[in-house]
Amino acid sequence: LFYMLYLTNVKHVLCFQRVALLVASDIDALCACKILQALFHCDQVQYTLVPVTGWQDLGTAFLEHKEQFRYFVLINCGANVDLLEMLQPDDDSVFFICDTHRPVDVVNVYNETQIKLLIKQDDDLGVPPYDDIFRDEDDEEGGDSGNESDEGSEPSGKRRRFDEGAVERRIERQRAKREWEARRREILFDYEQYEYHGTSASMMFFELAWVLTKDTKDMLWWAVIGLTDQWVHDKITHMKYVTDIATMQRHVSRHNHRNEDEENSLSIDCMRISFEYDLRLTLYQHWSLYESICNSCYTSCNFKLWTLNGQKKLQEFLADMGLPLKQVRQKFNSMDMSIKENLRDVIEESSNKYGLKDIRIQTFGVHFGFKNRFLASDMVHATAALLESTEKDESDSDNFIKALDSLSRSNLERLHSGIELAKRKLMAIQQTVASCICTNLILSQGPFLYCYLMEGTPDVKLFSKPIALTLLCKYLLKAFVHSTRNKRCKLLPLIMAAPKDVEKGTVIVVGIPPESETSDKKNFFGRAFEKAAESTSSRTLHDNFDTSIIELKTDDRSKFLDALITLLS
Amino acid sequence: MFCEKAIELIRELHRMSDGQLPAFNEDVFRQVLQEMEALYEQNQTDVNEAKAGRAELIPSIKLRHCCLLRNQRCLTAYLYDRLLRIRALRWEYGSVLPANVRFHMCAEEVQWFSQYKKSLASFMRSLGGGEGLDITQDMKPPKSLYIEVRCLKDHGEFEIDDGTVILLKKNSQHFLPRWKCEQLIRQGVLEHVMS
Repeated sequence: LFYMLYLTNVKHVLCFQRVALLVASDIDALCACKILQALFHCDQVQYTLVPVTGWQDLGTAFLEHKEQFRYFVLINCGANVDLLEMLQPDDDSVFFICDTHRPVDVVNVYNETQIKLLIKQDDDLGVPPYDDIFRDEDDEEGGDSGNESDEGSEPSGKRRRFDEGAVERRIERQRAKREWEARRREILFDYEQYEYHGTSASMMFFELAWVLTKDTKDMLWWAVIGLTDQWVHDKITHMKYVTDIATMQRHVSRHNHRNEDEENSLSIDCMRISFEYDLRLTLYQHWSLYESICNSCYTSCNFKLWTLNGQKKLQEFLADMGLPLKQVRQKFNSMDMSIKENLRDVIEESSNKYGLKDIRIQTFGVHFGFKNRFLASDMVHATAALLESTEKDESDSDNFIKALDSLSRSNLERLHSGIELAKRKLMAIQQTVASCICTNLILSQGPFLYCYLMEGTPDVKLFSKPIALTLLCKYLLKAFVHSTRNKRCKLLPLIMAAPKDVEKGTVIVVGIPPESETSDKKNFFGRAFEKAAESTSSRTLHDNFDTSIIELKTDDRSKFLDALITLLS
Repeated sequence: MFCEKAIELIRELHRMSDGQLPAFNEDVFRQVLQEMEALYEQNQTDVNEAKAGRAELIPSIKLRHCCLLRNQRCLTAYLYDRLLRIRALRWEYGSVLPANVRFHMCAEEVQWFSQYKKSLASFMRSLGGGEGLDITQDMKPPKSLYIEVRCLKDHGEFEIDDGTVILLKKNSQHFLPRWKCEQLIRQGVLEHVMS
């Protein structure tokens, strides 16, 4: 059941117990984990942290730890599946789940004892009412058998009439039951059809910290990063992002209130978070402006930088702003101060001329010390690159630990190495997008677009990871929508496949909803993939917490796709 | 040259100035003792002769006596320094010494160690109004009761005093009371994480 703001209860329950933290591998979960760890440190709750990458990992971790722990906290995993069925825990295990995946499985919602969901009150879940889905079986049978035992004592004359009545009633009851079940199937189908995301887990935990008045600037910054992760990876709508930013802004101004005084100014090393209406150029402060413009999805798609025309337009754009090429190609920090001063306004003005209406976005930045300034999106890209780094000999949990470390202010080296990795990843994405569009690798299959990355493609190893592939997928779709003239194709969703494990012969398949201004980001591919796999008995692994990302045997690719086409037509 | 062997022992200890205990150098020790015995006997005979009238032997008697004193000083310094190191081992490793260290101690040193352990234990038991206090932990005042540790290698299950079992898997992080982790941190299984 829901446990929003029954938080002091939660705190009491956990205070003298040991807790197992099972954390999914995405940035929002990492940030939420950091906040929760800090809270546990405050209250000295002993815990064990275990990273999990998918359902199998979750199952293994649970089995290993179920003897030693009664309380489990699951971050960004576990809400969208019948957890008790999957894990088969003992009756005294309690699960606290803070997961952004929606829809929440109805069994989890209506379980009163073992599953506690941490969800914001405003989040509209649309859960069907209890009676529509669950029904006590006993009532019907009791009615019937009562009648039958009565009949035995009646004189035989009336028996036939009563028999007919009983049979009719039974037929009626069975018909009603079938109707109810059909309606139930329909309701559940509608409810579970689309997959989407709710409020960021790190924001939830930050609110918990705030209610307990144990919130610090570090926690606030992590909550901001978690929210920005949802925006960078296109998990929430623009409306929701703006609303959540406003919520965060209230917290930021509350924390900044103390710095107002001239006399009591804080040391330069203290952390300052500030609201920024900054450019949508990825990593531009840690790169050169030119590179950033070339490798940011927004500018690259709008200028169509994979074409010659696009390149010329970019040069015009720079000339229009009066920025010399030499300056623009330098590291951002070494650019002339005179140029940097009004850069944002200058760029905004020129972008409006070129049709880039939303070049600026509301976000937050942090700075501590003389050199260290980061925007929230910088942190998201850096940490994501570390989390999915494809260096040899590094297991998933090694990467998880490295990424988790990079979020602490004391590990700036880690963060900077993450930024370098992120730059390489973005460049790889741009090149792949350019080559896919120029060589027409995106094929329309009818109800959806499809693109397959061949094994020899440069940097294809980067795209064997879910977050990187999803990002590539989204950029590719945006670029495709900008470059195609076919009006119908612009409204189609995209499925992308890339080799995952060459030895095992599997590919990773990702499906994303169509690109539009007013998209509600709801994804139906989860169910579609399941059905297609079942109908063709393809060998698939639905291990990821996002149901729209699966692993498939390369050989089964064509029949799987055919099934999808028939399913979605 | 006399007393050279004794210096060898001192040099050996001096080389390992970080508190490590080298193996008990039985051979050199015995050689020094033999040298001392030889010197003593020579001195005995010379003293008898000198008493009998040969006064020119007195400087050589004095020389040998100085050598004897020097050897004695070196040997006692050797033994005492080793004892100090062994004592420090109790504070660092706890009451069970790792096998390789025990191997380096001679029988008498082992005996001394167990005596030391006993006195330390009875002293600790007498503290705190009869309840006992383990003073070998927390040599520096700790900043917090609980610390965050990260597991560096798969260590399997680890049982703590109150019976709870923790599964130490590579890359899992735990937040545990300080005293439960110190042993493992020293062994290199856990790593203290500062955030």
